[in-house]
Amino acid sequence: MAQMGIYFDQSRCTGCFTCVIACKDWYDTPAYTPGRMRVSCIEHGTFPDLFAAYLALSCGHCQNPPCMAACPESAISKDPSTGIVTVDPNKCVGNTRCPEKCRKACPWDVPQFAPEAGARMDKCDLCADRIKHGQQAICVEACPMHAIDIGPLDELYQKYGDQKEAEGFVYKKRFAPAVVFKPRFYKIDGGNP
Amino acid sequence: MESKSLYDESRGPVTIVNTGCCHDCGGRCVLRAHVQDGKVIRIESDTGPGPQIRACARGRAYRQRLYSNERLKYPLRRTAKRGEGSFETISWDAALDEVAENLNRVKKEYGNSSVLFLPGAGNQGMLHGPLGPGLMLQMFGGFTRYWGIPSYEGALFASMATYGTIKTGHSRDDLLNSRMILMWGWNPANTVWDPETALFLAKARENGARMVAVDPRFTDTAATFADEYIPIRPGTDAAMLIAMAYVIITENLQDQTFIDKHTIGFNDYKDYVLGRSGGVPKTPRWAEEITTVPAQTIADLARKYATNKPGALIAGWGPARTAMGEQYSRAANVLCAITGNIGINGGYAAGFMRAYSSRETRHLQPDKNKKAVDKSKGIPSANPVENNALPRADSLYKLSGGTNATSARIHQSRIWDAILTGTAGGHPADPKLAYIVASNCLNQYPNANRGAEALKSLEFIVVHDQFLTPTAKFADIVLPVNTFMERSDIAPPWLGSPYYIYLNKTVDSMYESKTDLEICRDLAPRLGIDPGFFEMSEDEILKMFAGRRPDIDDYEKMKRDGVVKIPLSEPIVAFKDQVKDPENNPFPTLSGKIEIACGHLAEMDNPGIPQVPAYLGHKEHYDSPLSKKYPFQLLTTHSKIRTHSTLEMVPWLREIEAHGLWINPKDAQKMGISHNDMVEVFNDRGCVRIAARVTERIMPGVVNLCQGGWYQPDENGVDTGGCANTLTDDTHSPGGAFAMNSALVDIRPAGKPGKEAV
Repeated sequence: MAQMGIYFDQSRCTGCFTCVIACKDWYDTPAYTPGRMRVSCIEHGTFPDLFAAYLALSCGHCQNPPCMAACPESAISKDPSTGIVTVDPNKCVGNTRCPEKCRKACPWDVPQFAPEAGARMDKCDLCADRIKHGQQAICVEACPMHAIDIGPLDELYQKYGDQKEAEGFVYKKRFAPAVVFKPRFYKIDGGNP
Repeated sequence: MESKSLYDESRGPVTIVNTGCCHDCGGRCVLRAHVQDGKVIRIESDTGPGPQIRACARGRAYRQRLYSNERLKYPLRRTAKRGEGSFETISWDAALDEVAENLNRVKKEYGNSSVLFLPGAGNQGMLHGPLGPGLMLQMFGGFTRYWGIPSYEGALFASMATYGTIKTGHSRDDLLNSRMILMWGWNPANTVWDPETALFLAKARENGARMVAVDPRFTDTAATFADEYIPIRPGTDAAMLIAMAYVIITENLQDQTFIDKHTIGFNDYKDYVLGRSGGVPKTPRWAEEITTVPAQTIADLARKYATNKPGALIAGWGPARTAMGEQYSRAANVLCAITGNIGINGGYAAGFMRAYSSRETRHLQPDKNKKAVDKSKGIPSANPVENNALPRADSLYKLSGGTNATSARIHQSRIWDAILTGTAGGHPADPKLAYIVASNCLNQYPNANRGAEALKSLEFIVVHDQFLTPTAKFADIVLPVNTFMERSDIAPPWLGSPYYIYLNKTVDSMYESKTDLEICRDLAPRLGIDPGFFEMSEDEILKMFAGRRPDIDDYEKMKRDGVVKIPLSEPIVAFKDQVKDPENNPFPTLSGKIEIACGHLAEMDNPGIPQVPAYLGHKEHYDSPLSKKYPFQLLTTHSKIRTHSTLEMVPWLREIEAHGLWINPKDAQKMGISHNDMVEVFNDRGCVRIAARVTERIMPGVVNLCQGGWYQPDENGVDTGGCANTLTDDTHSPGGAFAMNSALVDIRPAGKPGKEAV
């Protein structure tokens, strides 16, 4: 199997947060604990020349994951057949014994810890279990705008092109996250593209 | 993948129950509840064949509402002063005895008109919610109720006056035929407006349609879809639309063939627009002064709209939710008409904007053999209190459909005044008892402080609800009602979509909660009413309801699938027949044509609802004397995390968006207010203390507090719950438009979060 990747159509995202809630519901993540899917709003300009876009970000499942390299406990691994990056909660020692090295190593802040002391890292695994059971990832299935897709990275490139950056997301070649975007960039001259 | 499978069934098998989300938003969406051991453990939405009806964050988060610890568990009796929220748990028998005793007493002492029934939209199923209690109270001898719905009354009145109907919308697939889409005061990214709307806007944009948003806020809709964003001063939309008509008329860009063939009154409007019938010419420069929109922008937009046909002017309801809001909506309808964008694919008639009319059942459809009733002599009603009352002076009573014209009803914004002043105050009744079902009326009617005063003055209040809302806190008896997950129902879609959702009961009723129907079943005998209807099973009733719908052909299949999607052979286009073949298909107006000048309005001779749309001021307009004292215009828009005041108690949703007062940085800086600082927003009606949300996404001079935050007055009467209606005006325009977006306020800093006011 090939490296799996994630596609996000930023031009469609209205910031409805349905993917965030669907993910929290599926994985039973409490409120005020970071979920595996996060949506952020990027705003530019001053009234009335404004720009606002949303970025839905779970994990890029990098081809050279910085979180994996940074983990002193070897708790993070990359599946050789799918490229999916996962954490073993039994190996992660939690954020009282480790200064969240994985989170700090990730330029996109993907590895997340619950607010309570000793919390283990948690992150997106592309809903590997749902996919194994013949279903789509929960965010893909939930998005009312059909703006998210998950699949082998090569296929995503074929379907959507190879744009690797979006407003609010800077690509890092040395980590090579498996992401494809249809972006909506802020232009200095004002108006929406 | 070493982790344990999510399909591990060691705690029992997981079954998927097809149900749907059913509160008062612009949705009604498919939910698939995963149930294990009698408990909902996860929720999915539509995974079936397209077009999918995908739920939004609100429906997806429902587990936290269903299992909220704040749910009402048992019947409650008040033990302290109204509004203090102190209650004792009592038995169902004791609670229902007390309700019946008070209903019987009030009926005997004052008559049925003193029973005030306040049904709400908290439940949107065909069966559950206010239907049962309304029927019960009708059989009890009747009740007084309200007319006017805050969401849309101005738009509805304008739709009836112009077109004689509320069916003025297109199905969303038709957006792909539009070359231009004007999204006027319309934010479906947050308000949904039928589940597929935002997706079709995205597709229309990808299809090359030019998209323009007109709004005082840079909404998610404007940000995501608009090629051009035009901010406009609240309450002045009619002026801009009229100035667009000026440009179109003076540059001869109108569709004169369409006007001649399908409309009446164009010349009257032309005279108003050009300033021939008194007043100034309504030039773009005139409108610039009023709206703040540059004259050039207005003229450009008018030209583009008139010459890039077909174009869809979608006139949202928010700008009609202002004082004199009927005029905005009328002006929008007329602009659609004079450009000939009506009855064609890719066009749009604005108006009320219902498209697929699944709410009109066969027995409600016009019957040609039925004799027309002369309503001027009295309007028949099944409610004995209303039967044969004369029509209201400013109602469109000669038309069929629209708002019930009876003068026996009280406009919803005047309910508090009616309770406090009664017949002496000019109202049709002297309310003594309020029967409140699925309604957080104290929170959602205008002027909450006056509402609290009114509720304190009543002799008895009973509330059916799921949570101890600000309204329920004022009840003498609170009856716990279950949620849609705990019963079966059918949800008709909102405005435009061809489908029904069948909500299969997912889990047993929580605690001692009951359906409204079960409550009536137990209460009816105590009121001496035959409980016949209430003793029917849910299934019998739903089957009966479905049987009246010509488009539900297989009830059992709908039940199994949880949804029936009705295929359309072509997009729904309002007035297609009227425009194609006007001889055989008149518009349902009195003249049979689109009424640019409305004869019914002309007869009323009320300067607040003139025969042609006009730009009108009012006592809380931006340029009124009161604006010197209260310089900010308040908007009370819809939040993306609530459905009105429903879903307030859901932590997952609260985490998404903090409630706060939107204020432009320019205004905030002048007062030394930083993001998240506490502020007090106030006027003569009340004061709200809330965190400031300093954002460029709102016009200077305008502030926004999303409606639906729960009213919570402190010991000084300052609302710390962020209820927008603490500040709104409880009067209405002649056509019924609510003034929810027309309140003037001032703002002062109130310290840092969590600290007392400075």
